[in-house]
Amino acid sequence: MGIKVLVLFFIGLGGGIAVGSGLVAFLTVLGIVPRLMQLSKTYEATRSYEWSIISGSVLGGWMILAGHTLSFPAGTLLLVPIGLFCGVFVGMLAAALTEVLNVLPILAKRVGFGQKILLILMAIVLGKISGSLFHWIYYVNH
Amino acid sequence: MENTVYLRMRQKVQVKLGQKITLHDIAQVIAPPKWEQQLSKLLIHEVTPEDKHLVVIDVMQVIRRIAHAQSDADVQTIGPAQSILEIQLSKKQSSPVYFILVWLLLFIGSALAIMNFHEDVSMQTVHQKIYYMVTGHYKEQPLLLQIPYSFGLGLGMILFFNHLFRKRLNEEPSPLEVEMFNYQQDLDQYVIVHENKESEKKIDGN
Repeated sequence: MGIKVLVLFFIGLGGGIAVGSGLVAFLTVLGIVPRLMQLSKTYEATRSYEWSIISGSVLGGWMILAGHTLSFPAGTLLLVPIGLFCGVFVGMLAAALTEVLNVLPILAKRVGFGQKILLILMAIVLGKISGSLFHWIYYVNH
Repeated sequence: MENTVYLRMRQKVQVKLGQKITLHDIAQVIAPPKWEQQLSKLLIHEVTPEDKHLVVIDVMQVIRRIAHAQSDADVQTIGPAQSILEIQLSKKQSSPVYFILVWLLLFIGSALAIMNFHEDVSMQTVHQKIYYMVTGHYKEQPLLLQIPYSFGLGLGMILFFNHLFRKRLNEEPSPLEVEMFNYQQDLDQYVIVHENKESEKKIDGN
């Protein structure tokens, strides 16, 4: 019994360390946090942002694994800002990935739309919004 | 000392076909007053159709011309060792049909990509779980969470590239502009080595 608990504990801890460091490495490579600090001019708050990411991951991971619920009375309205923040975060991830892969500069250079880069960007942005809306409103029901 | 000519090549110069390139066009020059006029009008290169799109002018070429014009000039170079001449051929207008096709390709492609992503990471289940976590009820289709999420996606991308609110947020270049600049630098670096006859020496003499 004791040895089983110990082994399980060790496996769980090991898995957690691997996944956690992977998540942080991913966020670091994409450079989302520095970008947000640049936009909001809060370079001195790096430490607090680290803690925000850590506590968010721990809280989200625990809640979804343990199946807890907060049962907020005004919960339904709280969903709107939560959904918006989730979306902004995923949108920034997607934008950062596009940038890491160097898609837009090459495209703009090759096709010769250097001046119209904003329009090209809007195509991707509007495509993401409509694709996502289509997915949730229509696709999942069919 | 009074014969020193300081020379700094310009990184990139746009020129027209048939233009006579003078020293003043491709470099910043500080020369003794007695030579200033003569040197800035010094002919370095004449653009011909054989030059095609790009020409690299090496600083050695320029020094040779200066030495030829004023043999006792002491040339001091500062900064880049060559300048890239970009020959502006007739400006071709990209057709709007072409543009619309690319636009639609990106639009539909990114819509497909985000749907694939959502399916791949079981986003629907995660949204249902978040809905349950907050409200305590289960809902098959938590649209209240998903519609703000969808608009947030677009907002996040715009925020990252900082294109729409450039003036309001700050003056720093967006990552996209930095990326475009880096890509251009890489291209220039390639051109400097490969278009410059002086920078490579091969065994077979080509």
